Amino acid sequence: MTTTIQSPAAVGTSRSAAAGGPGPRRRRAITIAAARPWLLLAPALIVLAVLLLWPLVRVLIFSFQDYGLREIVSGDTNFIGVDNYVEALTDPQLWSVVLPNTVLFAVLAVLCTVVLGTLVAILMTNLSVLWRTVVGSAIMVAWAMPAVTGTYVWVWIFDADSGIVNQLLMGAGLMDEPFNWFTNRWSFYLIVLINVVHHGFPFVAITVMAGLLGVSKEMLEAAQMDGAGPIRRFFQITFPSLKQVFTVVIILSTIWDFKVFGQVYLMPGGSGTNRSVLNLGVWSYVESFGQNRYGFGSAIAVLLTLVLLVITVIYIRVLMKEDEL
Amino acid sequence: MKKRYLPLAILATAALSLTACSSGTTGGSGSDATGQTLDVWIMQGTNTESDDFFDRVGEEFTKETGAKLNVEMVQWADAHDRFVTAIAGGTTPDVAETGTTWTAEFAESGALAPIGDYVTEAGLDGELVEGLVEAGTLDDTLYGMPWYAGVRSVIYRTDIFEAAGIAVPTNWAEFQDAIVALKASNPDIIPFPVAGDAEQLTYPWVWGAGGEVATKKGDTWTSGLDSAESQAGIKFYTDLALEHGSSTAGATTWKETDVLDNFAQGKVGMAVMGSWTPATILDKNPELEGKIGSFPIPGQTSGISPSMLGGSHLSMFESSENKDLAWTFMNMMTTGEFATEWATQSGYFPGETTALDATVASADEITQAFATQMVDGGASLPVTPKFGAVQAKKTTNTMIQSILSGEKTVEQASADAAAEMTEILNEK
Amino acid sequence: MSRKITPARVRRNVIVGALVTLLLIFTLFPAFWMISSAFDANAASGARGLFPSELTLDNFIYVLNDGGFAVFLRNSLVVAVAVVLASAVLSLLASVAVARFRFKFRTSMLLMILIVQMVPMEALVIPLFVQVRDLHLLNTLLGLIIVYITISLPFGIWMLRGFVAAVPVELEEAAFLDGASWWRMFRSVMLPLVMPGLVATSVFSFITAWNEFIFAMTMLGGASEKYTVAIGLKQFFGEHSNDWGSVMAASTLITLPVMIFFIVVQGKLSSGLVAGAVKG
Repeated sequence: MTTTIQSPAAVGTSRSAAAGGPGPRRRRAITIAAARPWLLLAPALIVLAVLLLWPLVRVLIFSFQDYGLREIVSGDTNFIGVDNYVEALTDPQLWSVVLPNTVLFAVLAVLCTVVLGTLVAILMTNLSVLWRTVVGSAIMVAWAMPAVTGTYVWVWIFDADSGIVNQLLMGAGLMDEPFNWFTNRWSFYLIVLINVVHHGFPFVAITVMAGLLGVSKEMLEAAQMDGAGPIRRFFQITFPSLKQVFTVVIILSTIWDFKVFGQVYLMPGGSGTNRSVLNLGVWSYVESFGQNRYGFGSAIAVLLTLVLLVITVIYIRVLMKEDEL
Repeated sequence: MKKRYLPLAILATAALSLTACSSGTTGGSGSDATGQTLDVWIMQGTNTESDDFFDRVGEEFTKETGAKLNVEMVQWADAHDRFVTAIAGGTTPDVAETGTTWTAEFAESGALAPIGDYVTEAGLDGELVEGLVEAGTLDDTLYGMPWYAGVRSVIYRTDIFEAAGIAVPTNWAEFQDAIVALKASNPDIIPFPVAGDAEQLTYPWVWGAGGEVATKKGDTWTSGLDSAESQAGIKFYTDLALEHGSSTAGATTWKETDVLDNFAQGKVGMAVMGSWTPATILDKNPELEGKIGSFPIPGQTSGISPSMLGGSHLSMFESSENKDLAWTFMNMMTTGEFATEWATQSGYFPGETTALDATVASADEITQAFATQMVDGGASLPVTPKFGAVQAKKTTNTMIQSILSGEKTVEQASADAAAEMTEILNEK
Repeated sequence: MSRKITPARVRRNVIVGALVTLLLIFTLFPAFWMISSAFDANAASGARGLFPSELTLDNFIYVLNDGGFAVFLRNSLVVAVAVVLASAVLSLLASVAVARFRFKFRTSMLLMILIVQMVPMEALVIPLFVQVRDLHLLNTLLGLIIVYITISLPFGIWMLRGFVAAVPVELEEAAFLDGASWWRMFRSVMLPLVMPGLVATSVFSFITAWNEFIFAMTMLGGASEKYTVAIGLKQFFGEHSNDWGSVMAASTLITLPVMIFFIVVQGKLSSGLVAGAVKG
């Protein structure tokens, strides 16, 4: 798999040395060339270091403290060792509610997003240009709906008293009295799932579709000649050549779906009243800001980050080679 | 001796001994404050005419001190987080309205300035409603200046009650009968919503049945939500929805604002609502003018079921650069004319007794029921900085919601809630 | 293969047609429902049909004037434009570094960029808040802009490096042979070729700036005249949770600019995304 991917960088290095021009300028050119990547990186690195890395380190430091409002105001430290982690990890709520909600939801959401996105992409490649544009635009509309608005729209659609879903179900005689979709853990997350998939599959569909259009037609036709059916063709030719596309799409979806916050927090009961729908993100936030227990909240956040880290490392090991980075 | 009942009557007599209404400003900031600006945060939604009110307060304030007044309206729902972030970020205003259950919490973080000396200097000792003073005090130091208080009672649709020939209920059995009658006569309306995300609508039934939210013995708090009395109250309240169809499925996730909204839209027969809501209801839906009335929350067999005497303090922040100026504003708002006017407009009761008496005396019919509720059925929640944490954890809301959604029985839910509340209250 | 109308072809068209219809309903229904409710005078009155029973603009007028959304939209626009421009420049420069040069710590740098994307936003709220406080940027749009730039940078760098790597080195060398300086080459050779990638990353930084509300909530807490649309809508919903007509009107106002932006960049976006992913 070491085709063009790593060569540009390698060529780039030799090129920047070679292209420095002949004669006396060459030596200076080499120093500039060596410094150039760092010069280019500097602005981004400074911003990232100040506003992302240092805060990250701080989260870690907070997580070992009993850090409350008083500590934030005064700037004092108050270390308590690993107590926050012990408390979080021994909380039965973590194992019975929070972690299952987070992990199960993320697995389902990634699965649904990627499968639906891929199916839509396949569908789109089979359409005429006109219809492809129509469907593409519709997908854009779904993608463009900001998470906050999208969530409120879904809440409105599923509203217990005057939402259209309950009206339709009752009108069809499937339900005798209105059902409150937000009080039940499963129906609550069903709505979150619809919301997240609706907002997330366009990215997958558009990316995969563009990838599909790049798959070699000759190979597909050759496979067809050999009698391979459409499903076999997909898994033998299309999928392997889109492996990188899927890697990226799956990793990003996983990261996004594990961190889902607003879509839960903004729903009725989602900000802590209904304990059975807490996920790691919301739990961390309500513990931090509601209880002024920033240390404990930070510990939960660190745990969430670790979970994501482990998953991503597994993905990368399975799907990517290091020199592809 | 039930601590939660406020000795308001005692207060009123005490107030008589100190007759003069000392509205003169202290601190003598005078005109030397010219060019300064006082930043103030006020909660939104208390008073429908607040814009106009603060315009005039601002004028008066400038006339008196030369300083400018900058009022920022803050929404209740986000207010706690906003205060916390402002305290953490050092971006607090000079003065802010703080909910009575929050003042101790913010004071504990070191963000609020003690105001006891100002109060003494202004001759207001003993002139302030005790329940509010108590809630604004931490470690014997006063941080919250009582501004206004409110209670919740039942607001109902007089037109519907009359048409259906339903009498105002005076005990729980009658209350339940009224709901059943309402449901029969007006199937389209919600007789009595049982909101699943509103703790304040729950406590009257706990207290009314003789239960306690939490009590302190020595240094230890114990939640009483799981006592037999409390459970009976909670069961009666939730059964209204579960057994007698008084509520809707949607109400399981309602907050108090949802109750208010739906009442204003004419969809509700009666509901427990605050003394500050009638003005808002009529503002949102003028058609209800003359069609709403109020009565105190009935007691289990007779009398009144207490509701929380809630309200607001005005608190001064340590970050304020001119504390005398801040006090001038606080004094102006909480005593005398402006205090009475604010109370009358908003349906609240002033936190200073002279103004309180004036307001009660001039109260209209709807307000009378609230005045009765306040004097005879005003209760206070556990006074500890930790109760704010209980509220933020939504312990009581969680309990009610899980009962309404059928996830837990009254016994389970109240036991869980009591355990959680006891644990939080006793955290160091 | 044949263009003749065969039963199989008809069946295929019917299936495709049905699928497209289902897809269009699923993707468009929320937007349709939102807009339809926004124009409905009686949106919250209970039973409403698919279309407004009585058309009105009152909801929009109300949210723009009383709801303050005119200000929120302006704030969000300022933030979004600043974030898109700044993060495009910064991530392009950085991606050239990681894609074109091989230097010490390059791999660890890339791993770090991948990892920081995993950190949940809620985890960063407190330390970032403290950080912004120390920079004295609380309650300012600038503070929020800087935070959003930071959030969108890792993704931007990660996406763009694929595009930069895809630019044929021969083209660059040709430019150098013609005597162009490095910056000249960068401007006239590389920039046009990575444009689709820039569009793709801009879309993501735009979404971040437009949608984010936790940081807006904590960092603009005390200054509602600085609110962005997301936090403005959250506040509005808190006060008017049953006034669905107005809530949907506000949502429509917030969503329309994004939709227009998305549909306009659609073509560039799809080629951009796949190039980023495939070559990445």
